[in-house]
Amino acid sequence: MNLLNFAGLIAIPLFSSPIVYLAGRLGTHEATLHGRSYLVRVLALLAVLAAWMPFLISVQTLIVSGPQDFSVNTIRLRADGISLLMAGCVLLLGTLVILFSGSYMSGEVGEEKYYAMLLAMMGLMIGLVTASDLFNLWVWFEGMAISSYLLVAFYREQAASLEAGMKYLIQSATGSVLVLIGIAMVLAQVGTLDMAQITEAVSGSGVNRLALLGAGALFVIGFGVKVALVPLHTWLPDAHSQAPSGISAMLSGVVIEIGLIAMLRALAVLTGFALSWGILLMAFGTLNILYGNLLALRQTVIKRLLAYSSLSHIGYILLGLGIAIYFGIGLGAQGAFFHLFNHMLMKGLAFLAVGALMYGLFLQNGSHAALKINDLAGAAQKYPLAAFALSIAVLALGGMPPLAGFMSKWQIFVAGFQTQNIWVVTLMIFMALNSVLSLGYYAPLVNMMYRKEPSQQVLAGTPLTWTISLTLILMALLVILLGFAPGLMDWLTVPAGESLMEIFGD
Amino acid sequence: MAGILVVLVVALPWLGAVTVWVAGNRRPDVQHSYAILFSVLTGIASLVLLPFASAVSVIQLPLGEAFGDLTFVPDGLAVSLTAIAAVVGSLAVIFSVDYMRGDAQLGRYYFLVLFFIGAMTGLVLSGNLLFTFFFWEITALCSYGLISFYNDDPKAVAGGMKALIITQVGGVGLLAGTMIAFANLGSFQIADLLENASTLPVAALSFIAFSFLIAAAAKSAQFPFHTWLPDAMEAPTPVSAFIHAATMVNAGIYLLARFFPAFETVPAWKMSVLMVGLISALISALSALIATDLKRVLAYSTVSQLGYMVYAIGAGGVFASQFHLLSHAVFKALLFLAAGSVIHSVGTRDMRRMGGLGSRLPFVRNVFIVGALALAGVPILNGFWSKELILEIGLEHSPIWAYGLMLVGAGLTAFYTLRMVWLVFLGEERDHLRVHSAGSAMKVSLGILAGGTFITWLFFGALNGLLSSTLPFHELEHESLIHMVAAIISGPATWLALLMVALGFGIFWVRARGFRLFGGGWLSPFVESSFGFEPINRFVIQGTYKIAERFSTTQTGELNWNILGIVSALLVVLVVLWLGV
Amino acid sequence: MTFTPLNIILFGVIALLGVGFYGLLITRNLIKVVMVLQILIKAVILALILAGKMSGNLGVGQSTAATVIVADTIVAVVGLALAVQVRRRFGTLDVPKISTLRG
Repeated sequence: MNLLNFAGLIAIPLFSSPIVYLAGRLGTHEATLHGRSYLVRVLALLAVLAAWMPFLISVQTLIVSGPQDFSVNTIRLRADGISLLMAGCVLLLGTLVILFSGSYMSGEVGEEKYYAMLLAMMGLMIGLVTASDLFNLWVWFEGMAISSYLLVAFYREQAASLEAGMKYLIQSATGSVLVLIGIAMVLAQVGTLDMAQITEAVSGSGVNRLALLGAGALFVIGFGVKVALVPLHTWLPDAHSQAPSGISAMLSGVVIEIGLIAMLRALAVLTGFALSWGILLMAFGTLNILYGNLLALRQTVIKRLLAYSSLSHIGYILLGLGIAIYFGIGLGAQGAFFHLFNHMLMKGLAFLAVGALMYGLFLQNGSHAALKINDLAGAAQKYPLAAFALSIAVLALGGMPPLAGFMSKWQIFVAGFQTQNIWVVTLMIFMALNSVLSLGYYAPLVNMMYRKEPSQQVLAGTPLTWTISLTLILMALLVILLGFAPGLMDWLTVPAGESLMEIFGD
Repeated sequence: MAGILVVLVVALPWLGAVTVWVAGNRRPDVQHSYAILFSVLTGIASLVLLPFASAVSVIQLPLGEAFGDLTFVPDGLAVSLTAIAAVVGSLAVIFSVDYMRGDAQLGRYYFLVLFFIGAMTGLVLSGNLLFTFFFWEITALCSYGLISFYNDDPKAVAGGMKALIITQVGGVGLLAGTMIAFANLGSFQIADLLENASTLPVAALSFIAFSFLIAAAAKSAQFPFHTWLPDAMEAPTPVSAFIHAATMVNAGIYLLARFFPAFETVPAWKMSVLMVGLISALISALSALIATDLKRVLAYSTVSQLGYMVYAIGAGGVFASQFHLLSHAVFKALLFLAAGSVIHSVGTRDMRRMGGLGSRLPFVRNVFIVGALALAGVPILNGFWSKELILEIGLEHSPIWAYGLMLVGAGLTAFYTLRMVWLVFLGEERDHLRVHSAGSAMKVSLGILAGGTFITWLFFGALNGLLSSTLPFHELEHESLIHMVAAIISGPATWLALLMVALGFGIFWVRARGFRLFGGGWLSPFVESSFGFEPINRFVIQGTYKIAERFSTTQTGELNWNILGIVSALLVVLVVLWLGV
Repeated sequence: MTFTPLNIILFGVIALLGVGFYGLLITRNLIKVVMVLQILIKAVILALILAGKMSGNLGVGQSTAATVIVADTIVAVVGLALAVQVRRRFGTLDVPKISTLRG
């Protein structure tokens, strides 16, 4: 029963993907196209809603009886705190994105492909976070990557999105090659790919530690391409800014974080090196924060700005995780996971709100132009909700209270200062100052939207639909609510933090 | 009861904020009335709260390891500041009914003002440093939103950004200090920090003390962060009166006063506080001498008066600083609001175009002069008593040269105050401006504040009793009003100060005829660069942008280059790991 | 180091990886980039089988290698499909000419 339930969590989105595709394709005539597109949307939404059921049951099982292991032939799955947190993120954002895309993607060529790929990607991501075999992990990872290439390059009439998709594909495939070499190195040393067995074997004798360290480096860099560690990040600003807005939200909100989970899972099996991984994560975190903030400062295209800000937020998460792994402070892991969840909400909201504005200003008028900051002048008058949602999102990203980002950053700070280590304390102050710096590019966005003189684009804009508004309202409410009641997500973030400490505790 | 009241003073304005916002911009009258309703109710609740002051926390809500317990402690310091914030806030809202009439986006305006009132009361009432910081940042957010309320004006946006960034940099100080305290004590409770300060390692305590000083200086626009307040004057005038004169800028003073018993023993801390106050008081008084924008003069004078309060804390006079804070909140709000009516009536802030407005705005002139005399420290207005108290403490507990310089500052204050009154209301009309008379809501607010300027010093005994009985760590002596009056009248400091004030008036009077009232000669380059700190700000910003520009060239967008990033990162990581093992 | 069969394969893997990364660093034609990626994948497949053999668990090595072949065929297909679209939109396959997004 448990296995069935858990497999359902992965299988429902994965198997509904072809159904949705076929529903959109079979016997389509011009006349029925509109009805079909409606059917596709509803089916996709139903599929993702159905996946909530096994998710909630799994969470309950986890709380009652702890982590569970399953295996079907060579597919090995493990439900622990981390997998359920990430599955929750994927489902929540996926549901909202599908709801949002209903109007956003309507009328696009190949709408059914969009939903089919999105559902497949969600199923593969949930599979990835539950994998308990190194090679399974790679297969899920590659599957997720392939579906995301197609989604990034979805607007295949647009030159820029083709370019972004192409670069994303090549860099990601390079990273994946590195991961495979790492896997081969581990296999050569221990003769197995099951995570639990590797953990046992690597501590035994007759293992070349240096080779394992090399494999770890390959995992860091290989998965790091997906996580967008600086300097492996170069694909990210292009892909995030050129993908359809719902996909930008997914990429920034969950895909890069899933890459991070894959990296952590792979590193955790190489026991005995936790200190090295901790240092590496902190180092990359620092680099990401600084680089992301500085580059975001110069952007004029909003989605590109948000993409760079994702780099710096990944940096905050990496810092929290690094502190947790290096110093064994559980609060750091909880803070990092809480920030991961909040970042999913805040960045998801930001991209969807920008998407809503693009929908009103450009898409409805048949344009796929990039939304520049200046186009937003006076947007609040015509689109009060979208402007408010975007303001909430960027202020939350900048760490202003009473919004979600403040609380999770705070938790990471607490963990950092608890180490009582002068370097980490310096790093934390550096992080706080960077948070201030980030307001230097978030705040002008808000100012621009609340101008009285509207821009040409805003004057020509068309109204939003209720599904878009509903999505924005739900997410904005969540962001505000978590700013007041940070404990609300403890049921997901605390077990995730505990799981991380468990897999890294040697 | 106290618990309910505490919740009310925080929650009522926030509820009001949401209500006004939901009411929608299409019905401005409804928005005005809701705003008044909620702010006045908050004001009443805050006054009712005064007798319930106590040193124990009235609300306790555990929030987990990383956040501690949410507590509210309505002690004397907290309830008095709450009352100031709520009462001045409601007067500012009443004033806004006339001032903001016909403005677009009223919902956003009132939302931010009411949200600010709640945050300010929360800030002073909070017994948990996390929530002090939480509310601290919300006040910064509201202040930024209101300074750049007129978003179409680039100066307003720049002013708002400047205020936000500078106070946030200060906020990092509060954050770091709080975190160090937590790392050492395992608690976010303010009472725990005050009680166990002596058990902390000296280095940790010094770190906390100085980072809190940085936070306070940034929030209260003190040296070296004094540059943001004059630029914040782009905000609607009721906001300048309320947030940038009477309440938010007091948060820094509050922070120093609150933690004074813990940091008192930190070497050089008191002296640093004293110097910060002294330098701020003097340089902004000098700046006020030559400024020609009415609101800027008032902003400089706010920085200068806040400098007096910081100086008082540095000299050990926590109570004196709070007493002056009360007086200053009342008379500076009065001055700003009166200036607001003038600006509203004539449509300019430039004093060069005003002059001789007194006969056409008699009511505004009268109340403005009351406020100005209080600012200058003329008996028997409230500013006189509190400033004398500070100078008396300065004479006893600070180096004599510092006291002397503060005396000079009092003279400068008298000088620029008289100049301001002269330029606006007296003399001949320089520019024939169309004058509208002040509205009735404006007159209500101004009248109440002018009355307050005459009488708030009578609350000396009550305020003193409130603070001395509910602040267990501050060791304040109880003193009665009569005692204070007697001490001030008989003290030599008073007569010296009055002499300086008279001298200030006299010099202005003598030079008024031949004196070039505009353009300050040798002073102006200093004032324009905020005594050298404006170029530093600009250097930091431009430097950051330049670095960002450099960095952005690394994003070439070329595939081979991107692959090179991956390969070289791999090599670096391999080498680092290999060396590390 | 002796020339055992295993060592020869190891040299083969390293050589293919070297060629592959060098190719990625200098190649400017999109189709060639996809081909170079395939060279890297071949190296990986060899490496997996070699690893299985070295650890005495050849079955694992072979099954993973087979899966990699399938998965990376899909990547190659998607890559080539995108390359076709790029050729249509840009009229060229020269990577520097299609690089418009920067900064």
